[in-house]
Amino acid sequence: MSDVVDVEDTEDLECALEDDRTARRRVAIHDIAPGADWNEVEEAILTRRSIRKFKGRQPPAHLIRRILEMGRFAPSQGNCQPWSFVVVRDREMIAEMEQYCVAVCQNMTAGIDYTNYESGSEQRAAILQNTQVLNRQNPNSFHPVPMTAIKSIAKGRFAVFHKAPTVILILVDKRGVGVPEVDVGVVGTNIVLAAQSLGLGTCWVGFSRLLSSNTALCEKLGVAAPFEIAEAICVGYSIGNPAQQPVSRQTHEIIWWEGGQKEVLY
Amino acid sequence: MTASNVEKAVVPPDHLAIWDDPREALYGRVTIDLETCDGCKLCTVVCPANILELYGPKDNLKVRIKEDFTGCMSCNNCYAICAGQAVIASEPYDFAGYYEQKRIGKFEFPRKF
Ligand SMILES: Cc1cc2nc3c(=O)[nH]c(=O)nc-3n(C[C@H](O)[C@H](O)[C@H](O)COP(=O)(O)O)c2cc1C
Ligand code: SF4
Ligand code: SF4
Repeated sequence: MSDVVDVEDTEDLECALEDDRTARRRVAIHDIAPGADWNEVEEAILTRRSIRKFKGRQPPAHLIRRILEMGRFAPSQGNCQPWSFVVVRDREMIAEMEQYCVAVCQNMTAGIDYTNYESGSEQRAAILQNTQVLNRQNPNSFHPVPMTAIKSIAKGRFAVFHKAPTVILILVDKRGVGVPEVDVGVVGTNIVLAAQSLGLGTCWVGFSRLLSSNTALCEKLGVAAPFEIAEAICVGYSIGNPAQQPVSRQTHEIIWWEGGQKEVLY
Repeated sequence: MTASNVEKAVVPPDHLAIWDDPREALYGRVTIDLETCDGCKLCTVVCPANILELYGPKDNLKVRIKEDFTGCMSCNNCYAICAGQAVIASEPYDFAGYYEQKRIGKFEFPRKF
């Protein structure tokens, strides 16, 4: 059986498959020395920022199609691609979405923002207790960061869709393989990075999920079971130049096993 | 306010956290270089927490942190937009009353390995 290829022997397999183009790419990869400059993909990753202030100009439709096309080739669990998109480029529709989410935040803060009341007051104590119980039940949603944002949205100091000219709603097919919400994160990452490389600014909007409680608006938008709004991505041209320098961020523990040794890196 | 002058809350297991006491919920902190800041206003416009504001005479505007500030998440969008790199967040938020930060190290710019 000498003509059977040993599947374990991938070195051989790679050589067999190599044409000119892949050969060149492999050389480029092997050439990268420690400390080498960022390539274009790395640049896009490092200079992407969440953009929350947009110019009025609408990005051309073909660029939105172009970034969605990059999403189409994202990896997904079992290749199930559990996503679909609603692209909203009508100002009135985006304003209606904004208004609804703001109203939800106002209702929420009325019941849970104890900081609206004097320290020591009875009202404050009552609402604080309410908030703390909710926080216990759902620590991720009542984490101080989203809480601060919800408070600011309610007071009109922070926006939900940031007056973006284009909003892409990412819908998740709840029947997807494994954890379909992870695939939504992956498809969205392709979209925001592609946008960055084309000079478009983006911002993820998790608060877009608030729209789900408005059945009429969902119907109008074209959101229906088994799909749900998972996330949104605002797209437009940013003001200023937020890509002029990468930022500083915390490092994270990396446990590194090699040569029978365990090391902790940051 | 810096981490060093805030005594973190000791959190017993049945503790229910509050978010307007810095011992329990300490937000990100930014440093501003007043010599470099030219008052261009960009950072105040892009800051998602809306905690930065301009002050001073018209011909010598500078940026500062609002008195009533909460919500800085150390995203450094202010740093990214500032041509003179006059404003920077270099410490993460720390919500001691909610949970202990684990497995994180200090702030670093992108490192070329
Ligand atoms: C899944 C997801 C949801 C987010 N939701 C919101 C949101 O609702 N509103 C918002 O202003 N930013 C949102 N963001 C943006 C984050 O706040 C931002 O990515 C983070 O502060 C880091 O800043 P950078 O994106 O500029 O690097 C979201 C990000 C992700 C990944
Ligand atoms: S962006 Fe920089 S120069 Fe402009 S106001 Fe902010 S700190 Fe000052
Ligand atoms: S780090 Fe982010 S939230 Fe904090 S002041 Fe700068 S822009 Fe605002």
